[in-house]
Amino acid sequence: MPELPTAVRGFGVTFRTMFKRVVTEQYPEAAAKYPPKPRFHGRHQLNRWADGLEKCIGCELCAWACPADAIFVEGADNSEGGRFSPGERYGRVYQINYLRCIFCGLCIEACPTRALTMTNEFELADNNRTDLIFTKEDLLAPLQAGMVLPPHDMVPGFTEKDYYAGKVIGATDTGSATDTAKEST
Amino acid sequence: MTIASGSEQTQTDLVDVVVDDINVRVPKGTLVIRVAEQMGVEIPRFCDHPLLDPVAACRMCLIEIDGVPKPQPACAITVADGMKIRTQRTSPVAEKAQSGVMEFLLLNHPLDCPICDKGGECPLQNQAMSSGRGETRFEGKKRTFEKPIAISSQILLDRERCVSCARCTRFADQIAGDPMLELLERGAQQQVGVADDAPFNSYFSGNTIQICPVGALTSTLYRFRSRPFDLVSTPTTCEHCASGCSLRTDVRRGEVTRRLAWDDPEVNEEWNCDKGRFAFRYIRQDRIESPLVREDGRLRPASWPEALDIAARGLAAAQGRVGVLTGGRLTAEDAYSYAKFARVALRTDDIDFRARMASDEEAQFLAALVAGQPLGPTYADLDAASNVVLVGFEPEDESPIVLLRLRRAALKANTRVWSISASLTGGLAKMQGTWVPCQPGAEAQVMDDAQKDGSDDAFGAALRTPGAVLLVGERLAGIPGALSAAAALARNTGARLGWVPRRAGERGALDAGALSGLLPGGRPLTDPAARREVSDLWGVQADELPRYAGRRGSVPIAQSADAVIVAGVDPVDDPQGEQLMAALAGDRFVLSLETHHGPISELADVVLPVAVDAERAGTYVDWEGRSRSFGTAISGVTTVTDSRVLAMLADAMDESIGRGDVMELRAELATLGHWTGDRMSAPDVRPAPPAAGGLRLASWRLLLDLGRMQQGEPHLAGTARPTEAVMSAATAASRGLTEGSLVTVSTPDGSLTLPLRLDEVAHDTVWLPMHSPGCSIVQDLGAVPGDVVEVVPGGPR
Amino acid sequence: MGLEEKLPSGVLLTTVEQVAGYARKGSLWPATFGLACCAIEMMAVGGPRYDIARFGMEVFRASPRQADLMIVAGRVSQKMAPVLRQIYDQMANPKWVLAMGVCASSGGMFNNYAILQGVDHVVPVDIYLPGCPPRPEMLIDAILKLHDEIQATKLGVNAIKAQDIQESLALTAPATLEMRGLLP
Repeated sequence: MPELPTAVRGFGVTFRTMFKRVVTEQYPEAAAKYPPKPRFHGRHQLNRWADGLEKCIGCELCAWACPADAIFVEGADNSEGGRFSPGERYGRVYQINYLRCIFCGLCIEACPTRALTMTNEFELADNNRTDLIFTKEDLLAPLQAGMVLPPHDMVPGFTEKDYYAGKVIGATDTGSATDTAKEST
Repeated sequence: MTIASGSEQTQTDLVDVVVDDINVRVPKGTLVIRVAEQMGVEIPRFCDHPLLDPVAACRMCLIEIDGVPKPQPACAITVADGMKIRTQRTSPVAEKAQSGVMEFLLLNHPLDCPICDKGGECPLQNQAMSSGRGETRFEGKKRTFEKPIAISSQILLDRERCVSCARCTRFADQIAGDPMLELLERGAQQQVGVADDAPFNSYFSGNTIQICPVGALTSTLYRFRSRPFDLVSTPTTCEHCASGCSLRTDVRRGEVTRRLAWDDPEVNEEWNCDKGRFAFRYIRQDRIESPLVREDGRLRPASWPEALDIAARGLAAAQGRVGVLTGGRLTAEDAYSYAKFARVALRTDDIDFRARMASDEEAQFLAALVAGQPLGPTYADLDAASNVVLVGFEPEDESPIVLLRLRRAALKANTRVWSISASLTGGLAKMQGTWVPCQPGAEAQVMDDAQKDGSDDAFGAALRTPGAVLLVGERLAGIPGALSAAAALARNTGARLGWVPRRAGERGALDAGALSGLLPGGRPLTDPAARREVSDLWGVQADELPRYAGRRGSVPIAQSADAVIVAGVDPVDDPQGEQLMAALAGDRFVLSLETHHGPISELADVVLPVAVDAERAGTYVDWEGRSRSFGTAISGVTTVTDSRVLAMLADAMDESIGRGDVMELRAELATLGHWTGDRMSAPDVRPAPPAAGGLRLASWRLLLDLGRMQQGEPHLAGTARPTEAVMSAATAASRGLTEGSLVTVSTPDGSLTLPLRLDEVAHDTVWLPMHSPGCSIVQDLGAVPGDVVEVVPGGPR
Repeated sequence: MGLEEKLPSGVLLTTVEQVAGYARKGSLWPATFGLACCAIEMMAVGGPRYDIARFGMEVFRASPRQADLMIVAGRVSQKMAPVLRQIYDQMANPKWVLAMGVCASSGGMFNNYAILQGVDHVVPVDIYLPGCPPRPEMLIDAILKLHDEIQATKLGVNAIKAQDIQESLALTAPATLEMRGLLP
């Protein structure tokens, strides 16, 4: 069987490929079509309890677990009228240096209150090093419905143990917590 | 295998025991837990502490002894001949007993390690990992307490975490002598506590935090500040007093976060005072950041070359008429640099480190008996002494580790302590000491009387016993004749004489030659051999050194000089502070080498910033004469030492005193060593006749007061003693004064109103704190101890 | 810098800036500097699935003279630093540097004596990309952010003005030591 010239045979590859589905992901135009897997390790988030108090207690276990030394935490005392988390202690300073962080997730495993989790956000590139040190304001989860911006008191009648047991389901349900928060802010 | 603490153990002192099937011979009376320790077997423990009496409160160290039916606590059982001991290593009984105790201890423990300051360095945490269970079997409700409660403004108590080991209560009772902490209640409700009206205001309270094996005691200062794995630790020496405590300074990101007592059996053992532990935030407050030069009457920041140039020109213009005042806070190396700089570059001998109450008599006393003397008397000598006599020295306030040592010696070794003092203080009571009442100013007379033939003064006889020690405080400089009398008393009785200054750098400055008439190592300036030794090392001709001893005292030096170098001087410390400030404010060039902004840097012509202790290495010489070197705790800072600045300054003046490097200076000091030749003779000043009329003022600085280095420490200040006047009941009654009422103490220069407390005080004497909140006798009264004051009832008129 | 030096100064440049920026960003040729694991992701960006050719960047140049963008992908050892600088010096102006991954950006988890603590110690970095390694989308995102910057690049006198402004800002900016935020 006579063989076709190689030049023409090459076009055969091209021709066949024309009928195949295009594999190219149209990022960023169609980024929504290719979301990362849910367990993707992206930017961190500091979570809140249902009433808006921070879950972080400033224990520094995440900083201890971090193999890259990317996390800096300093705790402080929750005072009367200056309560940010249930219990005695909250994280006053919380910094993650994203130019050190290797997104390994050991900090998430170390966190005793599930305060620190990871989102799927990954578009983090920036043109200077300073802005890539994320502080607590950058990392804190946005307020959801029913949450009140700390500092405010714990929901009346509840202790920190109730928070850890998941019994607090919102600040608005009880009403009074919201009022105290409004007074203090 | 034989374990013996001393080499001269006789056979009868040793007993044979078997530990984990290994035969050992150990001294009789050794605790089982120590034997195991020395064999390398770590028996878990909480309550056991080598410096505290055994109590066997935690039951964690249970071991098995053959022939004894139940497990026994290793920390409270001493070895007996033929004892067969099995630790958790070979005995399942001991292992089960220990894990059982651990389970009990954890029953009520809140397990709040994530928010606990002790987390990461907690013996309970560690031993729960090594001998605890992975899972709890406890299903009940844990006992809870309100947490935390403040037992003083500095110490917080979290009773939930306590394992009732009684370390803190035993420390307070046995070591500090402040038995304010006690175990209250019984059973599950057992808790550490203080009385409602008596907070734990001990000068040594911080030690309880350090020895607490759980996180039950924490400090307000360090609360939630850091984790041990974040800290970089450096062994340092305390800069607050002349006790010379070894400390561990913990630094996080260039900030000192806490300081702990470090173990040094020869000096502070494992303890320190609260001032040394908690007063360190002055490091960051109000620091001078860059060189400052005066221009049109105002100080403006300048570059180092510019400031050094101006300073060098100012000093060169006053060549030969420059005075150097160095204060008592410098390290030995820095003081030596000043001494060398003054003699070599400035060609002056007008140098004095005593920016405080000072006299010529004191200078002569120091030159004759203290400067450049080898070690001693030491803390060990205090332990072994038969009698210790204190004159003008209150150890609890002025050198707290001396108090701890004397207290232990008095309680355990039958040392008898005597204090020639205006009042029977709490500190003396802790040492079970004997009070020799003495009106302030009359110390010299009392000491002179004790030497007279046929004197029946008991303390004089006590000093004649072998091993007796006479400790004189720096305050005696203010009493004419007192140091002469002390020197004569020591000479005539054969007692060893110790001089205890208040500031950490005084002894080092003295040994380094920062006092006119003295070259380094106690060498007299006028001695040809001494001049030759020093000039050879300094690379100058012997005749280039100043020929005659210079002026003494800060005010005469400042008044006679055209240019003055001032370093580390706080005019508040000096009874003549006002005259000193007036002299410096006059028409003379003032160069200030300072760490912090202060009254002197405000009126200087050139200010050069220097490093504080944590930022550099150095050496303090404690009151014994022991060198206490320390390293740099905060690395990476750009501040420079006094020595380095002086070296740069000498370069700018075309002189050379070396590089100012700490190792180089230490080597020079070591080369010079102690002077062994002739010294000046001890002073022989007659006591002044007692002043007539009124009450005599007794005073000294309390440990916690308005000192510059304690500023910005509200929690520490909260544990200070109250400001009050103290006098005896008889004196008060004769003037119609009652306990607790306000009294007004006045001199022609001013008056003070404060509450009165009645106590054991010499007759016709009133005691006031020297520089406490609301009572500064120099500034408010213009008085010094020994002066005559009037006391009347009631507030200010 | 090339074109702008030939031009008279003035209003005309505002549009030339736009055109030049568009042209430059549309044909950015990367110089490969794959040093470690990040390079694998960088290669994936060149493949069909992510297809960097969509941005006119398909030609990864092994020759620095023909490249505009150096993608430093991976940790830079102290020994590699001079080589990296030489490659950078050999590239023709205008040129850009992208520090890909945390190791190139700051040393990452390799805080030790062998690894350069950030490639910005030896070359000026225009864009930092976190990740260990960054996924290809992250690299594309970084490249697009760089594109925006290139598009906004000033030319001629405007460039000098922009430089002056930047310099005056830098002079008044607090030192890194002073930027302590909430820290004590």
